[in-house]
Amino acid sequence: MGFDHIDIIQSILDGVLFGSTYALIGLGFTLIFGAMQKLNMAYAAASIGGAYAGLASITILGLPALMAFVIGPVASGLLGLLVYVACFQYMPRGNHLAPLMASIGALFFIDEVIIHETAGSPLSFPAVLPQAYFFLGDFGIRGDLLFAMFISFLLMGAILFLLYRTKLGLATRAASQQPVASLLCGIPTRKTNATTFVLAGVLGGIAGCLVAASVGVLSPLLALPLTIKGLIVTVIGGLGSIRGAIIAGFMIGAFENLFLLIRGVNERDIYVFMLLFIFLVFRPNGLFGTAIDRD
Amino acid sequence: MEYYLGVLQTIGIHALLGLSAYLLLLTGQLSLAQVGFFAIGSYVSGMLTVMVGWHIAPALMVGAIMAGFFAFLVGFPALRVKGLMLVVATIAFSEIVRLFFFNLNWRVQVDGLEVGPDSTQGFREIRYFAANGWEQSHVVVLIWSILALVMILLWWLDRVRAGAVLRAVGEDELAAQSSGVNLMMVKVAAMTAGGIIAGIAGGLFAHSSTYVDHHSFSILLATFAISYPILGGLRNVFGTLVAVIFIQGFIIEGLRFIGDYRNILFGLLIIAAMNFRPQGLVDGNFRSDLAKLLGLKPNGGSNDA
Repeated sequence: MGFDHIDIIQSILDGVLFGSTYALIGLGFTLIFGAMQKLNMAYAAASIGGAYAGLASITILGLPALMAFVIGPVASGLLGLLVYVACFQYMPRGNHLAPLMASIGALFFIDEVIIHETAGSPLSFPAVLPQAYFFLGDFGIRGDLLFAMFISFLLMGAILFLLYRTKLGLATRAASQQPVASLLCGIPTRKTNATTFVLAGVLGGIAGCLVAASVGVLSPLLALPLTIKGLIVTVIGGLGSIRGAIIAGFMIGAFENLFLLIRGVNERDIYVFMLLFIFLVFRPNGLFGTAIDRD
Repeated sequence: MEYYLGVLQTIGIHALLGLSAYLLLLTGQLSLAQVGFFAIGSYVSGMLTVMVGWHIAPALMVGAIMAGFFAFLVGFPALRVKGLMLVVATIAFSEIVRLFFFNLNWRVQVDGLEVGPDSTQGFREIRYFAANGWEQSHVVVLIWSILALVMILLWWLDRVRAGAVLRAVGEDELAAQSSGVNLMMVKVAAMTAGGIIAGIAGGLFAHSSTYVDHHSFSILLATFAISYPILGGLRNVFGTLVAVIFIQGFIIEGLRFIGDYRNILFGLLIIAAMNFRPQGLVDGNFRSDLAKLLGLKPNGGSNDA
């Protein structure tokens, strides 16, 4: 197949724009991991669940299409809270396997409920700004992806503000660094952790809706790939690093789209995973991560 | 009858897969790469019996060695990292293997028929058992004897120094290292042994199902593999077998009549089990709990076999 530099730059451009959704999912994983040093495997499934709730509000309740972007994040925020209570709140602090396994259970549960309700078939999702398409010299830019990128930057700014400029952010960071000490200082760590889960859930819901809107369909099959891509973004960005997750999100989006062009859809993901292995060998702490000396 | 034999085969294969993850969990490594080794074992041994015409025994062995070799290779970069990073690295490995076989097209002519892996169409012609007059019950005996052998080996491992070293690394790496344990060697050895067990399980799976494709080796199966030992507990090898019988025998097969609700139930059960028994179903207190439940006095563990 023939392609020139214009095709390559175009595909990188599209990839970066689509990468904003990966950045959002990676950001959610990072928030939860940063708060508890534990992994929430159900996170991307809850995001897709939120997108489904948003879609249901349009198709079943007959609300205007834009309401999906309000109901969806709210629903996945609630799902995030539910996952926290069911899989993390009552677990022994030192046990990392049990909450991980429980959240895998929650991943199955959310996915299977969706499959049961929709009979497993994909549903079409309303597109945002379907007609918008800009030209920049030789290159075209999809308006809806640009919108997604804009929204993600807005949310990243909001999260950074929340973490570093508010009292809640201070409490979250304290609870993540010294859970026992912050409890002794009067910080309600459980409430703080629950808030983090809800916040990450809302982010995930928005990401889920953006993915569904730009792909055009919503399917329970999206949950697992989104989980894996989100985890890869988290690791390449550096565990617990917020700017790392954001930059890695765009990077993975670009890299994936470039190899989609060069090697086709069947082989695309192999190269993304290879990239992860290269990082694990040469930079195991990711782009911006600090050295991890514990599990 | 055929149906029950099929269930027994599934339980045996999944128990082997669970035990391969169990061995790694003993050293504190949560690996989702087991399904990758399982896939390598399936394809390699399947290709040997179908395309080269080997007997099942050497084919299984070579499949297991290949899987162990890749486990050895992947062990070095992957075990530099811990916890979450290892989970992600092993997911990536399993997906690379799955996508490799998804793209693998290697058709050859055997006895006038074109056979071999056919990329997206899967690998369809693994009919060694049927072609050589094996009955379903013979296959069950083969699978369960290998399972028994592996269980005895792992049981014995827990009785000798090597097992103590494995558990020491799992309990506290720093303390183990201070006591002169070579962490890298122990972890890579556990990874390799786990890979070999998963490879055998894969070979058995390919031959008992006669057909494999990339759907057979999804991350879903990897999560099943780790869920057995975690649900069953790391106290001994029987926990894993109990968990496999419970999940494959009871939830998947026994509750078939409730339709797809059992998939929903499966997720809920894992959440409930982890909340109420975070150390696994068969944990250290299992004996005394069982004794209490039966109204017997708990016996201070002196008869602990």
